[in-house]
Amino acid sequence: MLRYILRRIFYMIITLFIIATVTFFLMKLLPGSPLSAENKLSESQREVVLEKYGLNDPIPVQYVNYMTGLVRGDLGISFHFDNTPVTDILINRMPPSMVLGGQALIFGTIAGILFGLIAAIYHNGWLDYTSTVIAVLGTSIPSFVFAGLLQWYLANEWGLFPVALWGTYAHTVLPTIALAIFPMATAARFTRTEMLEVLGSDYITTARAKGVTESGIIFKHGLRNSLIPLVTVMGPMAVSLMTGTLVIEKIFAVPGIGEQFVSSIEVLDYPTIMGTTLLFSVLFIVILLVIDILYGLIDPRIRLTGGGR
Amino acid sequence: MKKVWFLALALLLGLFLSACSGGDNSGSSGDNGGEEGTEESGSNTEQVLNFVNGDTIPSMDPGMVTDEYGIQFTGASMEGLYRMKDGEIVEGIATDHEVSEDGLTWTFTLREDATWSNGDPVTANDFVYAWQRALDPDTGSEYGPYMMGGVVKNATAVNEGEVPVEELGVSAPDDYTLEVNLENPVPYFESLAAFPTYYPLNEEFVEEQGDAFATSTDTLLFNGPYTLENWESTASSWELQKNEDYWDAETVQLDKITFEVVKDAQTQVDLYESGEIDRAGLSSDLVDQYQSHEDYVTVPEATLAYLKMNQTQSDALANTKMRKAISMAVDKEAMVNEILNNGSIASTGFVPKDFVKTPDGQDFREANGDLVTYDPEKAAQLWEEGLEEIGKDSVELELLGGDSEVAKISDEYIANQLSTNLKGLDVTLKSVPFEQRLDLDTNMDYQLQTSLWGPDYVDPYTFLNLWLTDGQNNQMGYSNEEYDTLIQETTDELAQDKEARYQNFLEAEQILADTAAVAPLYQRARARLVQPKIQDVYINSFGPTFEWKWASVGSEE
Amino acid sequence: MAGQHQKNEPPKELFVSHERKENTTEMITKPSRSFFQDARRTFFKNKMAVVSIILMIIIILMSIIGPYFNEYGMDGQDLSRAKMPPRVPVAENIPFLGMDGTLQDEFKGSTVEEATENAVMRYDNAEDFVDIEVLSEGDGSTDSAEVSATYNIYEAKEMTDDYFWLGTDQLGRDQWTRIWLGTRVSLIIAFVAAAIDLLIGVAYGGISGYYGGRVDDVLQRIIEILSGIPNLVVIFLLLIVLQPGIMSIVLALTITGWTGMARIVRGEVLKQKNEEYVLAARTLGQTNGKIIRKHLMPNIAGIIIINTMFTIPSAIFFEAFLSFIGLGIVPPEASLGALIDAGFKVFRLYPYLVFYPAVLISIIMIAFNLIGDGLRDAFDPRMHK
Repeated sequence: MLRYILRRIFYMIITLFIIATVTFFLMKLLPGSPLSAENKLSESQREVVLEKYGLNDPIPVQYVNYMTGLVRGDLGISFHFDNTPVTDILINRMPPSMVLGGQALIFGTIAGILFGLIAAIYHNGWLDYTSTVIAVLGTSIPSFVFAGLLQWYLANEWGLFPVALWGTYAHTVLPTIALAIFPMATAARFTRTEMLEVLGSDYITTARAKGVTESGIIFKHGLRNSLIPLVTVMGPMAVSLMTGTLVIEKIFAVPGIGEQFVSSIEVLDYPTIMGTTLLFSVLFIVILLVIDILYGLIDPRIRLTGGGR
Repeated sequence: MKKVWFLALALLLGLFLSACSGGDNSGSSGDNGGEEGTEESGSNTEQVLNFVNGDTIPSMDPGMVTDEYGIQFTGASMEGLYRMKDGEIVEGIATDHEVSEDGLTWTFTLREDATWSNGDPVTANDFVYAWQRALDPDTGSEYGPYMMGGVVKNATAVNEGEVPVEELGVSAPDDYTLEVNLENPVPYFESLAAFPTYYPLNEEFVEEQGDAFATSTDTLLFNGPYTLENWESTASSWELQKNEDYWDAETVQLDKITFEVVKDAQTQVDLYESGEIDRAGLSSDLVDQYQSHEDYVTVPEATLAYLKMNQTQSDALANTKMRKAISMAVDKEAMVNEILNNGSIASTGFVPKDFVKTPDGQDFREANGDLVTYDPEKAAQLWEEGLEEIGKDSVELELLGGDSEVAKISDEYIANQLSTNLKGLDVTLKSVPFEQRLDLDTNMDYQLQTSLWGPDYVDPYTFLNLWLTDGQNNQMGYSNEEYDTLIQETTDELAQDKEARYQNFLEAEQILADTAAVAPLYQRARARLVQPKIQDVYINSFGPTFEWKWASVGSEE
Repeated sequence: MAGQHQKNEPPKELFVSHERKENTTEMITKPSRSFFQDARRTFFKNKMAVVSIILMIIIILMSIIGPYFNEYGMDGQDLSRAKMPPRVPVAENIPFLGMDGTLQDEFKGSTVEEATENAVMRYDNAEDFVDIEVLSEGDGSTDSAEVSATYNIYEAKEMTDDYFWLGTDQLGRDQWTRIWLGTRVSLIIAFVAAAIDLLIGVAYGGISGYYGGRVDDVLQRIIEILSGIPNLVVIFLLLIVLQPGIMSIVLALTITGWTGMARIVRGEVLKQKNEEYVLAARTLGQTNGKIIRKHLMPNIAGIIIINTMFTIPSAIFFEAFLSFIGLGIVPPEASLGALIDAGFKVFRLYPYLVFYPAVLISIIMIAFNLIGDGLRDAFDPRMHK
């Protein structure tokens, strides 16, 4: 197991290195620079500004500087916000995204499990069909359409929640629901299938025969065993949350990392774009790793074959 | 198995908890703001306003600011020699000034009761330091050389590093006298001196803060009517609080103005309707719905939109007849009424309406009349002649535009109008982010481009210098000797002669129309919803958009 | 001993002669059907999937012929007919459908007159064409009176002979035409992206799985690194660098998109190649290429088809998502995502501009997901009955 984890971490570092390199050179291909904000600049002024951002050096030198900076956790200085380190920007923008992502994941998974459970228990009943329909709609309807509907009805028409912005806890409700819909639908579908399979298996029949109560069968034997494989779909869920934050934060004007990413692209703030890209990548890779390790711990077969993938 | 399950749960929970505690900080501060907002908008006497801002403030360093919001908030929290009030120049740190016979030496008398927010007095040396800093090549200021170059003596030379900063034409004979030597007589110098680049800076404080200067409230000093609180460069909310130490503090009536970043116009309106904010910007689509609202106002600006035609990238655009055809082929009236729909007016010249008056009291625009109007038949005819001259049947042009919502729609319209009204012309669109567009502009890597220009001071020169042969904002290969001479004269030999100077401006504008330098599109206005209780907020055509020094909350209705 | 044996011999009469009967336990009672016949049967039993297939066929057909149902073009601008509400012949007489070509809203004022005035002002001051219905008389205080106003914009603009089935946008372009052309663009992007994913994924996964060993090792390491990169980030970066347009979007979607397919195909090939029939084919001297084409491919076709079915909706979603963020297709061309983005900004005012494309994209996504589900069940032998 340890060898497996170490190997994964090694690949992780290579992946990050490649991402950082590719991002760096792609950014160099792009037009624009810190001084394109205004073209009211004389040649000599240009030199000074370029010097300040270290853009006067040949590209290989810039690359080495950037990479050594990365190792020290220094992501450079924003082009857009004067003298503000990218690290500070990211740290400032993290909390709202984390709150939304965390809440959506927890709320979505729990609600999804419940839906899936109900569907499995009342297999082929109307509750089953309803929750299946909800699950299909949840995976199919684009998040921005759904978020728009939520904003329009719950906030605007009925005034239940704030329309947008960030501040009180009430502000987190609508974006959380909008984000949670995909994890919820995924969890619901998954739980239903697994649950049906487990409920049909021999040991459940045995348990029934031994006189275990129905609730005992469902919760103690059924649910627990069908939830373990749920870990495998946590990866796609986490990814969908990242994609989601970009749109949802835009719609609800949440000052999070996704909103920052989109507006950095608008003003071509390269250091911030690069910083955010790397942050997304690190999160993504770490989540994948954690899920794989968890899965390895949970499922002994994976451990035996030494790595699964 | 049980253990593992708990591990997973604990991990999730940990994520959740850490996320929550992280969010709490930002949550509680926003919380207070929200509560106060609703509480106070209900009562009439509380002198508090709640606004939204379209974006974050990227910089608060008066020497470095270039964008609308930076200029806005430095203007509200700091002060230069003069201040603008409803188009008039009123006193700021300077109480008076004298101009020498030749118009080259300006001597300002400064007030002695102005202080920085750390208690230091504002002295003439603060101006000398700030101006030198803005031009010091090491500072890397963009507006420094732009606003001072060719105006303050040796500004360009200092900026190019040819002479030391001490050679700059500004000095402090004593603490409260500022002497400025100009390169040429500049009749509009007072209005220039009201611009943030000309603001004073406390040398000791700035040097002490180093790179961190002006990155947060703690690293700023204020000498204006308000202080900026709870701000850091990435902050999405902040407030302006009355500066009790301001020399004219008794005039300032507002206790506090809160700001929250909201980019989307629809969201702004929603917040306005729910009473959380006191002013909302309206996009053109929203105007349809809100033009009958009693709080609806449109504010005309002196900002011009025009179509740049790059003569170096296309033989069609190098042909005067074809450029003229293009400038006549867009139905500007329909565009401002149907698409922009916010009080913008079709523009027929190169200097906006209601911006400056000629010496005989006529509006500049009226003095020269409608120079470029929509005329599809004439356009089609000119276009055909032009095609013959360059010996082609058809031309393909690319229109470079912005990526804002209004820009996208109006660019689509312009492209369609040109393609429809001019036979054999096919216009394709390319919309890129603002910064990227400026880069393409600088490198003259475009064919057609929609562009906006707002004035930096009250003088036709701020518009008419745009198309000088070596003008820094020309970037389209336009060159007309006669025009260059006329404009050049206004800065030197005619600088003191108002009559002749304006005569030159008028003639120069006529030349622009005859040679179709650019195609004027519209003069921008903005539509907003504003609470009627807000009184005496002045709107400037340059510098800070809003002037809040005199603002107050009146009783409702 | 032997004698004893003979003594204990059972009497012959105890033996009953065995009647020859056919062994029914091994008998195949079902009609003989190949796997694919079975799959097809299971699939067509799934009503949702069948409905989805029919819907998709209609949508694809409409995206081809729909734009030519009227004379308006993709970029047929005319500001005089901007923002017209939907109006459909026949359906215009059924009020609740919202297709009668009128705009309707509620207006408030301190008196009925004031509210009416507001309504008329909102509707181009075309007093003659605004029908007012008083909802609440009001008592003179602010916003106490309420009227419902119906504006017959087609009559006001003297365009009673015109029908814009789904209304027009801010530039007076027919929304019907644009929606179907947008659907066409979205579908093209999705199909091309799915096809490229399929080609690369199957080839890569097939080679990796079939040859195994060192080749597999190297190819798998590459995938491992590639799939560590969040596709969102790659797509973003590429779209900033490339000229926006259909090709760029397809490229951005496929550049990491194929890894999923490659993984699945490799896993399946690894499983299948150790089956006896492959061994048999190899012993009989079949070439590698022939084994892959003739034996492996048919056996992993099911999983490939299912996976492709799920690639398509995700490609549609990603394209819409990119357009929504503002990195998508270049105007005047439009995709469903771009139409939703444009409509979303005005959806309180002109809900029909966002409603129809949003419904259409949701239908397409749901349909593909249901078809995918149906196919998955169909290719699952356990589900064959």
